[in-house]
Amino acid sequence: MQTADPTPGTTHDAPTGLNADIHHSIGALTRQLHNALQALGLTDKFKGLAGELPDAKSRLSYISRLTGEAAEKVLNRVDLAKADHDLILVQTRAMSQRLHAAPTAMPSAAELLAFLANVEGTTRQADEHLTEIMMAQDFHDLTGQVIAKVVTLAANVEEQLVQLLIQTAPHDAVTKPVTAGGTPTEATAHYQPALSGPAMNPQDNPDVVSGQSEVDDLLASLGF
Amino acid sequence: MATELRFLVVDDFSTMRRIVRNLLKESGFTDSEEAEDGVVALQKLQNGNFNFVISDINMPHMNGFELLAEIQKIDKLKRVPVLMVTAEARKEDIVLAAQKGAAGFIVKPFTKATLEDKINLILTKYGMK
Repeated sequence: MQTADPTPGTTHDAPTGLNADIHHSIGALTRQLHNALQALGLTDKFKGLAGELPDAKSRLSYISRLTGEAAEKVLNRVDLAKADHDLILVQTRAMSQRLHAAPTAMPSAAELLAFLANVEGTTRQADEHLTEIMMAQDFHDLTGQVIAKVVTLAANVEEQLVQLLIQTAPHDAVTKPVTAGGTPTEATAHYQPALSGPAMNPQDNPDVVSGQSEVDDLLASLGF
Repeated sequence: MATELRFLVVDDFSTMRRIVRNLLKESGFTDSEEAEDGVVALQKLQNGNFNFVISDINMPHMNGFELLAEIQKIDKLKRVPVLMVTAEARKEDIVLAAQKGAAGFIVKPFTKATLEDKINLILTKYGMK
């Protein structure tokens, strides 16, 4: 076998014979990988993992959407609350200046009542904005659950790859199997898909509800 | 009567516990405590005089279904209504919760109005209003 040029960046300039050797080596490695997967019974598991990756992608998109919506909602409510506060500030300042300018010329009862009603209404609105800002923080719970599932999936993929690496490495290179969560078999056994979590694409799944009204309808149909 | 009720809010996410307790306060229910999972909740329920439980389902150590089952086994607790507030959107979970004796089911994300509505319905149903 020809020795590869160790200088980085020279691959394209290598002779055809070397390319053929590399190609042959990659082919051999692929066959070895395929055989190892078959021998270890990992083929089906990898197929399963491949099936879960689109699910992980969908979950990450869900996190992105939910955090984006929460941020948007908070910023919109802050804008509204600030506008309300500005209004109160302007009216209070005007009233104060008027009293300072002519301390004896008190505003009429009607004017005072209108001012107080404005303050009360605007304060109530500000409170609603604050409640909505608080409610927007529920994304932490929802995305947290989804992130936990994606982390579990990533850990599972890692364990499978580590197991494959250990099984296919030269014997003298393996002193003892070191994995993140115990032996690979144990880690694999620990992987259990938990509850389904937030409904990310309810329109595509008849087994999940799309919102509270559907929950109420379902329970009512069952007599609860 | 309503303001005298004592609530226990069970959720593994502190953010959600704070949100629910704040909403309860805004609705006039000022007496509430919280627990991060079913195990802690059960201890608190046995040691305190709680009238109402609002619980998540998917939690470590003891999930909401297990907590509900434990509550049903204890004489002094089995009349305490349990409102499930959860992100689990599977129909089978909703049906299971009802069959196991949950007083109500709210799916996250929810609104203040939904929470108030469900609490009031349950209080009426259980003769606590």
